[in-house]
Amino acid sequence: MQLGFLVDLHLCMGCKGCEIACKVENEVPLSTWRLRVKYVDVGTFPETKRTFTPLRCNHCENAPCERICPVSALHYLDNGIVNIDKERCIGCAGCVMACPYGAIYIDPQTQTADKCTYCAHRVASSMMPACVVACPVQANIFGDLDDPTSNISQYIGAHQPSVQVRKPEKGTNPHHYYVGGGNASLNPLASARLEGDNLFGKITTLPVGGHH
Amino acid sequence: MAAHEILAATNAVVTLDVALPGTVWPWLVTVNMWAKSIGTGVIFMLFMLLRMHPESGNKLRMQTSIVAFIFINIFLLFTLADLHQPFRFWHILVYPSFTSAIAWGTFMASAFLGLLTLLLLVAWRARTNVECNTNYDKILLWTTILAIPVTLYTAALLSQCTARELWQMPAESAQMILAALLSGSATMILIGGDKLTYEAKKTLGVVLGLSALMSFIIYMSEYIFGAMKAEEIAFTLEYIKGDGAYTVMFWLGQWMTYILPMLLIVLSRSSKSESILKLASILAIVGLFIVKHVWLMIPQLLPMS
Repeated sequence: MQLGFLVDLHLCMGCKGCEIACKVENEVPLSTWRLRVKYVDVGTFPETKRTFTPLRCNHCENAPCERICPVSALHYLDNGIVNIDKERCIGCAGCVMACPYGAIYIDPQTQTADKCTYCAHRVASSMMPACVVACPVQANIFGDLDDPTSNISQYIGAHQPSVQVRKPEKGTNPHHYYVGGGNASLNPLASARLEGDNLFGKITTLPVGGHH
Repeated sequence: MAAHEILAATNAVVTLDVALPGTVWPWLVTVNMWAKSIGTGVIFMLFMLLRMHPESGNKLRMQTSIVAFIFINIFLLFTLADLHQPFRFWHILVYPSFTSAIAWGTFMASAFLGLLTLLLLVAWRARTNVECNTNYDKILLWTTILAIPVTLYTAALLSQCTARELWQMPAESAQMILAALLSGSATMILIGGDKLTYEAKKTLGVVLGLSALMSFIIYMSEYIFGAMKAEEIAFTLEYIKGDGAYTVMFWLGQWMTYILPMLLIVLSRSSKSESILKLASILAIVGLFIVKHVWLMIPQLLPMS
């Protein structure tokens, strides 16, 4: 079994329901996110469009975070999830530096690395991840990539030409796919970040782990 | 394609997002790299002096051991200080993951510190028993061999940071060794004082000047004159070009570490001035910190998602 995620960006309407559900389910501290939805506006008025991109850990098959972790705090589960043992983590932040997707953060409460685990605790109880349950338009599709009859495998098969992953050139083989993505939505360097583009107005960066 | 051309082509703007994390590895990591360069560099230089200028090298065993011991301890202390959970450092010894350069580095640096401690003890005994110098030199051989991977492992560690393409360049390993040779020779010139013969100082000056020259050439050809750049590196290098956030610091580092020491070494050889040689050494040691800091910071400024 290799669990994976697919987000159909044609369906996502940027409601941030997944973001909130994740925060609540995993008690993610203030100033940190396991999952977030980024809005990018493309074009010049009146020819403009807005894209919404949910961003979370990609649970890579060849995960740089797992490789760099000196104590195996980041490790693979049998179902392909890249999980984290916060009790073992020493907070070296090597994984934060290694992740090409900016998906790992230092939890300001525990001072250890943390990230999306595809809600491994829910999956272990045969439940869907919280973000999947919360999505009102079923833009999040979760399932077994090894099972050709699973929803995600069939969705990938049906939409094959437009199925993409983020930063394929990194060779990480993400288990997280997007349908309907473009350069502006999937490549962070393809869009300008102007001051005041975030939830906190003029705060453009936050201290890592709450200090430094 | 330059960074501004890519942004102009997409005409895309982030209109709502969370604030991104700031610097993950701060100046503490710069101190780590800088101190390690000096700690291993002086060992390389003592090894060289004992073979090329034994009359000088013989008098510097104790000083070199003390300096290497202090700087490797600074390196380890700042490594520890940068951890968010420093009291769990022992986890590396109990649960090591051997795919990680951090784990390998920990074991190698610990062994290196062990050998340096041994060198110190033997050098101390050699004050009353000159025959101990033979044992010192045998241990020094193994310490010098181990100093090579200890110097290089930081390049391996940073190349495991897949997210930061600037650190993936193969020349970074060469830069690590050159930094050790540069800071090692500069430190040796300063601590050697009257114990170094003029010929030994000339040799150390040549090492300093050549490592500065090679390091400078690599930086210029990679960062400034190399036209072909991957998108991510092109964006990263924007921070040291034009009115980039680190442009002034980058060029200050290049002048202090490489250009001025090279000129001063030429001047010191023509005027036979030891003061100028010492000035070149001080500039190189201080400048190396700035160069390393810029190299550490700029890839961290890019948004990853």
